[in-house]
Order: sequence, then structure tokens, then C-alpha cells
Amino acid sequence: MDAISTEGLSKSFGKTEALVALNLRVPEGEVIGYLGPNGAGKTTTIRLLLGLITATAGHADLFGIDCQRQPVEAHRRLAYVPGEAALWPALTGEETLHLLGAVHGKMDARYRDVLIARFQLDPSKRVRAYSKGNRQKLILIGGLMTRADLLLLDEPTSGLDPLMEQAFRECVREARERGQTVFLSSHIMSEVEALCDRVAILRAGRLIEVGTMAELRHLSALSIELQFDGTPPDLSTVPGVSHVTVHGNRVRCQVTGPVEPLLDALAGRGVRHLLSREPSLEELFLAHYGATSPEESDAA
Amino acid sequence: MPLDGPSTVVTRLTARRAVRSGAIWGGVFGLYVAASAAGYATTYPTPAARARLARTLGGNSGLAALLGPARRLDTVAGFTSWRTMGVLTVVGAIWAMLLAARLLRGEEEEGRWELLLSGRTTRGLAAAQAMAGLGAGLITLWAETATVAVWVGWSGKVHFSTAGSLFLATALMAGAAAFLAVGALTGQLAATRRQANGIAAGVLGVSFLIRMVADSSAQLAWLRWASPLGWAEELRPLTGSRPVALVPVVIWVAVLATTAFVLAAKRDLGASALPSRDAPPPHTGLLGSPAGLAVRLTGPVAIGWITGLAALGLVLGLVAQTAASAITGSASIEKAIRRLGGYRLGAASYLGVALVIAAALVAFAAAGQVAAARDEEAAGHLDHLLARPVSRTRWLAARLTIGAALVIAASVVTGLAAWVGAATQHSGLGLGQLVQAGLNMAPPALFVLGAGALVYGVWPRAATGATYALVAWSFLIELVASLVTTNRLLLDTSVLSHITPAPAANPDWTAAAWLTGLGVLGAAVGIIRFDRRDLAGA
Repeated sequence: MDAISTEGLSKSFGKTEALVALNLRVPEGEVIGYLGPNGAGKTTTIRLLLGLITATAGHADLFGIDCQRQPVEAHRRLAYVPGEAALWPALTGEETLHLLGAVHGKMDARYRDVLIARFQLDPSKRVRAYSKGNRQKLILIGGLMTRADLLLLDEPTSGLDPLMEQAFRECVREARERGQTVFLSSHIMSEVEALCDRVAILRAGRLIEVGTMAELRHLSALSIELQFDGTPPDLSTVPGVSHVTVHGNRVRCQVTGPVEPLLDALAGRGVRHLLSREPSLEELFLAHYGATSPEESDAA
Repeated sequence: MPLDGPSTVVTRLTARRAVRSGAIWGGVFGLYVAASAAGYATTYPTPAARARLARTLGGNSGLAALLGPARRLDTVAGFTSWRTMGVLTVVGAIWAMLLAARLLRGEEEEGRWELLLSGRTTRGLAAAQAMAGLGAGLITLWAETATVAVWVGWSGKVHFSTAGSLFLATALMAGAAAFLAVGALTGQLAATRRQANGIAAGVLGVSFLIRMVADSSAQLAWLRWASPLGWAEELRPLTGSRPVALVPVVIWVAVLATTAFVLAAKRDLGASALPSRDAPPPHTGLLGSPAGLAVRLTGPVAIGWITGLAALGLVLGLVAQTAASAITGSASIEKAIRRLGGYRLGAASYLGVALVIAAALVAFAAAGQVAAARDEEAAGHLDHLLARPVSRTRWLAARLTIGAALVIAASVVTGLAAWVGAATQHSGLGLGQLVQAGLNMAPPALFVLGAGALVYGVWPRAATGATYALVAWSFLIELVASLVTTNRLLLDTSVLSHITPAPAANPDWTAAAWLTGLGVLGAAVGIIRFDRRDLAGA
């Protein structure tokens, strides 16, 4: 059974289309990254899955439970971590965790203590005395300690320092090992690249790409840097080659599809050095949004 | 202080909100001044009626302790001065301390000052600029009050001199000015807006008590100079004005504002001069369920309301017997009691009228419960509950039940306290009678709770404003309209005019059942709508 399955899930706020006909299936046990710039509809998707807002059209199931019609049943199997930790300022960390655990109904107290130690949180303080990062740790612990079957994480590491980011990654890996499903909405490409089995990319409320990292890379260009002994040949006419820039005896270009024609064109031209690199998720992401890649801006 | 572009941004931001609030309350102040003067002029048209009123009200020590000593009650000027100063000084003080804490500490607590202070201004300067903005609000309040006072003064029946009207408006600002400064200072002392309000309310309570003691005995009258509310009283507008009493007010404001400025400049952003307890021992007893959480969050507020209303009930009970003799003098007040459905005279009739005003306060507490539910949602706290296995229907139903329990408890306690007060004066009012009279105050508040829940379910962002507006409107109708009109349709728009003035009459349990039933219906529709709508942020 799929942990998440949506069909034509849509949400409009007045005339603004926040999410348009989302069809997404996430099998149990998968860690999926959900990418998109601010305002792309990531938070809208999660709030629809939680039933906090009602869908304009379409349908969404969590473990086969209609999460819009039967939110309480669906919530028994999930934990939610928002990116902005608006907690009760007068409660202490310990009180907050007690409350969240009691309301959820299921909580692994031993794991909670492990998490408190791992994130180096002092739970005796009032929420209002915590920094933003500490509040975020608190809400992360509150979600993770339930060991729920599905973790809905909406930019969960905002405000965390790199050490805590590592602690978070360890938690996601543990969750995967336990067979929990993780839906990770994020801005941080390296985080998604390191953790996720599959990636879904959202733009202006529309899902534009879903696949494993390998599948996404396959669709996109390979970056190639060349250094020649003498004057470089003109490569711009070679099939599949684009974005050619020349700096003295160095050439940068991108290759879409087979690399063979380029290799043929290079034979016997005095290539001193060749570096081929798969694009990072960041480059893939930027390519989808039409932003200039770092290579191009270098050349400009 | 430089006054060029970016450095005045704090002044302008604060002033905009302070002026808006001042404009609204200026309307209330003006209306109250006009209604008091015009009401007196039409209710007591003859010298004989005025002399009788002056004899009875003027000799009532209970009322003097509550509202201040009455002077020249046989004139429009004397009555207007006594009535408006007695009520509006305290109203203005409460308005001012809440506003100052909201715009100084509240803004800082919400993190908005971080943005401002990263610009071209410093903490001390920003506090000074914000206080200047608050001053603009006070000036607006004064300007509106003064305009109405002058305009009313020109009327033939009232006849105040322009200078007298202007001084009345100024005197009515004394309490507000003093407590604007208190709020500005407590905003620097306390770490949270709530704590700032608590300290300021304490200062106000002590000031009121000192003034009350001073006004209850001639030997202790000098104590009046020890309370900001006493200074306001010593201004004596329209009855032999004494501008010299403005001196302590001005000094008080200057000293407190300067202290606030110094504290603001010295401390860190977000920090407070008083130590705040950041790591109290955990209390998880109530934190097992959303309803328990609501009880915990609303507890301090509920205790505040119940204590305050108990104190009010006690005072009303204490003064009922003496005050009653004053009422008997006025044919129109007897008429008003009969209009409300009352027939008993004496202490019962006084309490009957007074408890309608207390009922307005209970309704305010009910509106506060709707606002608290809305705040939980707007702040994003509710997300944490509703993203867990918590049914929306059950959450809102539990939240409203807690609100209803507060309303009923506050009502009954007020009645009980009034009985204790009245019993010490041997006024002959029975325990059962006054507990019923207390309970009689609950239905309008329950209606308000239900109506508020309905708006909350349908149009969440309007819920707080609409619910408070319903109560404020009803309160104004009871306070003002009932003096100047007998239009039944207009009076019926007040939720408070649907209860009888118990104990002056027996409670009308049928009407009470209707009010409560409509409230429950509103709540039910609100809950159903809430279950189906989007959660809405601030």
C-alpha cells in the first residue's frame, strides 16, 4: 500500500492556484524529497495532506485513509514537523513534549531522551526563552519521538546549525532503516541529495519532475571541462553539445544525450585534460527554473 | 532627536496604531460626556428634582468611594464632572496601560522591533520615538473629547464655558496620561506583554484603592495626593477647576517616561529589567489533552475575571443599601428600572441595575474566550494539535465548554459576593435571591460566546473584532441609549436588555433559555463550519 497517494489534488486561494492537479504516489518506506522555491506549493501540499486546509478538487489518501475526510484516523499514523515552530511561549520544553506526546497518543520515551541528547536541547526552559534553532529542535523531537509510520517534514531544518543538520540526517536514516516513510520538503539540495530515494520538483503549484537522482540526471546535461595543448577546436557544431565557452586553451560545455559525437570530434586534437561531471541537484533544480548555471555566469 | 525619514519610522508606525485606537475611544469618551450632560439636563429638568438628587447622591459615602466625591450635583456641570471623571479616568487609565504595553513590549515580543532596530535607530531612541507615537494617540483622544465637550457645552440646556469644556477634556486625560507612562515603564521592566499588563494593573489597583480610602473619610482625604487617580480627582473640572493638580501628573509622566527611556537604552533587545523565570519546574498535570491545555492557558485569565467580578460584586453589595436611597429620589430611574422589568425597590433595585453592568463585564470575558480560541489558530499553535489525532469538532466544543464554565462561574461568584456585601449591611436580600441574580447574568454572555463561535466558524479573521463589537455595542446601549431613547427596537439590539434586572425582579428564565439556546445553536453551527474550513493564519 502507498503511504501517500494523491489524485488531481488541487487548491486555490481565490484566484491564486496554489496547487494544480497533483498526482503523486509515495510507497511505504520511501524517503522522498519535495523541492520547489518559496511559494511553489510545498506547504500547501503538506497542509492538504494534514487536512488543515480543504482541497478545491481531487483526493488524497494516507495509507488508504482519506486524509481530508478522516483526518483523525490518518493523523494516528503520521507526525508533522513544520518549518516555523510557533509553540506555546509559556510552556517549557519538557511540558511541550509531554503535551505533544500525550495528544499524539503514542510516544517512544527512550527515543525521545536519545533525541534530546543528540540535539543537545535543554528541555527545562520556557519556549519563549529558546532561540529559533532551539524551538526548531523541540518541534523536531516532538515529531520524531512518535516513531510514526509517516513523517511529514516541512523544511524541518530551518534555523539549525550544520552540526544539528547532521543529527537530523542521522534521524532520517534511522527512520528509513525502521521502514518509516519520510516526506521531506526542503530548500537544502545537499540534504535532499544525501537522504532521498526520489525527488519531486514543484514549480508554481505544478509537479514538473519526479524521479530518482539517477533518473533526473539522465534527463539532464553532463558538464564537461576540457584543456587543450594548443588552440581549441570549434565544438559548437557537434551534435548534443551546447553552452560552449572558451578561455584561452580551456573550454567548458554541456552535453545532452550520448557523449560519443563529442569524443569523436576530440580525437587527435591534443586534449591535455578532460573533466566530466554529473550535475548536482542544485544545478538540475536551477536548470528547471531557468536560472543561469554557475558556469555560464563565470563565462559572462 | 533627528527627525529625518527613516529615524522617525518608529514614531509613525506607533502613532498610526495609537491614533486609530485613540480615535475609537475618543468617540466613546465624547459620547459618554454628551450623554451624561444631556441625560442629566432632560432627566432632572427642575431645580427641585436636582436638589433632591444632590441631597441623596451627594450624601452617599459608598458612591463617593466608588466614583469620587460629588460636588454641586444640583448643576449639569457638577453632575457631568462627577460622572465622567469617576468613570472615564479609570477607563482611560486601562486603555492607556494596555495600549502602551501592546505597542512597546508587545511589538518587541513579536519580533517586529528586530527589523526596525536593524535600521538607523537605537533601542533608547526607538523607545522614545514609540512613546512620542503613544502621545499622538493621547492627543487624538483629547481632541475628540474636547470637541464634543465644547459642542455639548454650547447647548442652551447644558451651558459650559468653552474654557471649562476644554479643561474637562484635559482632566479626563489625566488618568490616561499617567498610565500611558506606567505602561511604557512596565513594558521595559517586564519580559512579556502579559507580565507588563499585570504589573501596570497592580499599580492601577493600588492607585484606585488609595483614592477610594481617601474619598471615604475626610481625615484621610490627604491620601488623594498619593495616587495618580487622586490627582485627576483634584483637578475638579467644571466645579472650581484646579489646574495646579496637573503638576504632579506632568512630573509623574516625565519621570516614568525618562526611566523607561533609560532602561530601554541600557538593556538588550528582547530582555527585561526584571528577571524572568525561564526555567520553572514542569507542571504536566493538565497537559494530557487539548482541553487540559486550554484550561491551563486560560486559567490565569479566568482567575483574574472571577476575582475582579467578585470584588465588584462585594462592593456593589456593600453600597447597595445606601445607594438605594438615592435612586428612590429619581422618577426617571424608577422608570428605567420598570422598563427593564424591575418592581422591587431599595437595595434590590440598585443591585438590579448595577448587575446589568456586571453582566456586560461577564460578556466581555466571554468575548475574550472567543478571541483566545482565534489567537491559538492565528499564532499557529493550533496546527500542532490538529495535525495530531485531535478532532476539530471536539477541540472547539471543549474550548467553548471551558468558556461557558468560566461565564457561569464568574456569574455565580459575582452574585455570591454581592450577597456577602449586602448581608453585612442588613439589606434583607436572601442568598438564593442573589445567587439567582448572579446566574441571571450568564445568558447574555453565553449568547455572545455562541455568536462569537459562529463568526469564528465562518469568518475566522473577523471573529475577535465582531464578538468584542457585539459586547461593546450592548454596553453602550445600556449605558447611553437607555438614558436618551425608549426606542424598543434599538434597545433590543443589546444582548443585555433581554435579561430582567434581578434581584429587582425575578429572573426571566424563559428569556434566559432563549438566549442560551440561541447561543448553543450558534456554537453548533460554528463548530460544524469550523470542521470544514481552512485553518487561517494571522
